[in-house]
Amino acid sequence: MIDQRIFEDLQTKIDEETTVRDELHEIIQTLARKGRSTQAILSRAHSTPADQLKPVLDDAAVEILAQKQEVLRLKAVADQHPFYKYNALWTRELQNLVTSIELCAWLGGLQEHKGPSSGSFLTIEEVGKFLEVPVNLKEQDAFHLTIEEYLLALISVVEELSRLAVNSVTLGDYERPLQIGNFIKDLFAGFQLLNLKNDILRKRSDGIKYSVKKVEDVVYDLSLRGLVSKGSAAA
Amino acid sequence: MGTKRSWEGQAVIKMDSTESASSTLSIFENFRDELDEHHDRRERIIKASRDITALSKKIIFALQRVRTTNQPIPPNITKENDTRLEQIHKHFASIVADLIGIKSWRYQRQISGGVQEFIEAISFDHYLRTETLITHAEVASRLPGILVTEEDYLMGIFDLTGEMMRFAVTALSSGKVTPTDAAKAGVLVDLRVIRARCEALSVSGRHRAFMYKDLSKKKEVMQNSVEKVERAAYGILVRGSERPSGWTPDLSGPVEVEIH
Repeated sequence: MIDQRIFEDLQTKIDEETTVRDELHEIIQTLARKGRSTQAILSRAHSTPADQLKPVLDDAAVEILAQKQEVLRLKAVADQHPFYKYNALWTRELQNLVTSIELCAWLGGLQEHKGPSSGSFLTIEEVGKFLEVPVNLKEQDAFHLTIEEYLLALISVVEELSRLAVNSVTLGDYERPLQIGNFIKDLFAGFQLLNLKNDILRKRSDGIKYSVKKVEDVVYDLSLRGLVSKGSAAA
Repeated sequence: MGTKRSWEGQAVIKMDSTESASSTLSIFENFRDELDEHHDRRERIIKASRDITALSKKIIFALQRVRTTNQPIPPNITKENDTRLEQIHKHFASIVADLIGIKSWRYQRQISGGVQEFIEAISFDHYLRTETLITHAEVASRLPGILVTEEDYLMGIFDLTGEMMRFAVTALSSGKVTPTDAAKAGVLVDLRVIRARCEALSVSGRHRAFMYKDLSKKKEVMQNSVEKVERAAYGILVRGSERPSGWTPDLSGPVEVEIH
C-alpha cells in the first residue's frame, strides 16, 4: 500500500519553493535591468577622454547606488532561506555589479568609498562595506558576497580595462595604457597564486594572460615610437 | 608572456607599483588559502559520496535475492547489509562536519549522488519488509546531520521503482506470483500508484532549469519500469504455458538508463 499523502506533501514543498523562486526572480530581474543601464553608462568611458570622465562616473555612481538598493531588497528575502540553495539565481547579477563598482572606482569614481589603505581596487571587504552586505561567510548562513563572485568580477574588470587600453590610445591618452598595464599585471600575479581546479574560476582566469598581452602590446607599440616619455608612467 | 621587454619607463613603473603589488599578493594569498580549504572539503565529500553509492548498490543487489514482501529480510542478507550500512554511516559521519550549517547547501550537489543511492537502498529494504514507502521524515531521521532534500528523496523513490520492477518481474517469471494476482495487489499495483502520483507532480516550467532538473528523465525511466512489469505479466499470462523452463523476461531493454 502506497501512502498517497507522501506525494501531496512533495507537491506542497515544490509549490513552496516555487513561491520563493518567483519572489527572488522578480528582484533579480530588476537588478539585472538596472545593471544593464550601469554598464551602458560605464561603456562611455571608451569614448570619453579622462579629463571629461567625471559626469560619466557620476551618472554611473547613481545607477550603482540604485542597484545597491536592489541588492538590499534581495538580501532581505534571501536571508530567510539557505544561502546556497538559491545563490545560483543572483550570482551573475551580483558579479556584474561588483565589476561595475570596481571599474567605476578604478576610473576615479566612488572615491569616498575607497579605503585609505587600498591601492587601485576595492578589496572584497570594501565592496561589502559599500554594498552593506557581509562577505565570505563561512559559518553563518546568510546572504553575502562570496570570494568566487568577487574574483570573477575582478576578471571582468581586467577584460574591460584591456579594451580600454586600446581605446585610450585612440583618444590620444598614452598614459592610461601604462596604468592599466601595471594594474592588471598586479592582479595577474595575484591570480597566479591561486590553486585553481577545473571550475569556472579556472576557465575565466585562464583568459587574464591574453588581456595582459593585449595591454603589453599597446604599451610596446607606444614605447617603440617614443610616445611615452621617460618617467611619465603611472599615477 | 612572461619575458620582460625592455621599454622606456619600465623601471619607474616598477618602483611605483611595488607597494600595491605586495598588498595585492597578500590579499590573494588569503584567497588561495580559502579556496584550498574549499577544494579539499569538496573532494572529501565527493569521495565519501562515491563510497556511499558503491555500498548502497551492493545493498540493493543483496536485496534483489529476497523473494517475499511484507516479511522480515532473511537473516543472511540482513547480516551482510548491516555491515554495509555500518560502513555507510561511518562515511556519512566522516563528513558531517564538512556539511554543517551554511555548508549543507553549498556542497549539496557533491553529496546528493550518495544520498540518493542510499535512499534507494533503504527504501527498497523498507518496501520489501512492509510494502510501504519510506517517508522523507524517516529517511532524514536515519541521516542525522545530513541534509536530505525533498528532491533527493523523490529521485531516490524514482530509482526505487526500477528495483521494484526487477523484483516483480523475477517474482512473476519464477511463478511465485501469478499475473492475475499481480494485477490485484502487491508490487505492480503499488508501482502504478507511484507512477500516477509522480506523473501528477508539477514543477513550474520557469524554474525547471534549477529545481528538480532530472524529473522528466527519471519520470520516463519510471514509466518504462512500470510497463515492463505490465508486459511481463501479460507475456506470462498469454504465453505462459509455451515458455521453456528457466525462461525469464528480458530486462535489458531501453529502460536501464541510469541518471547521475
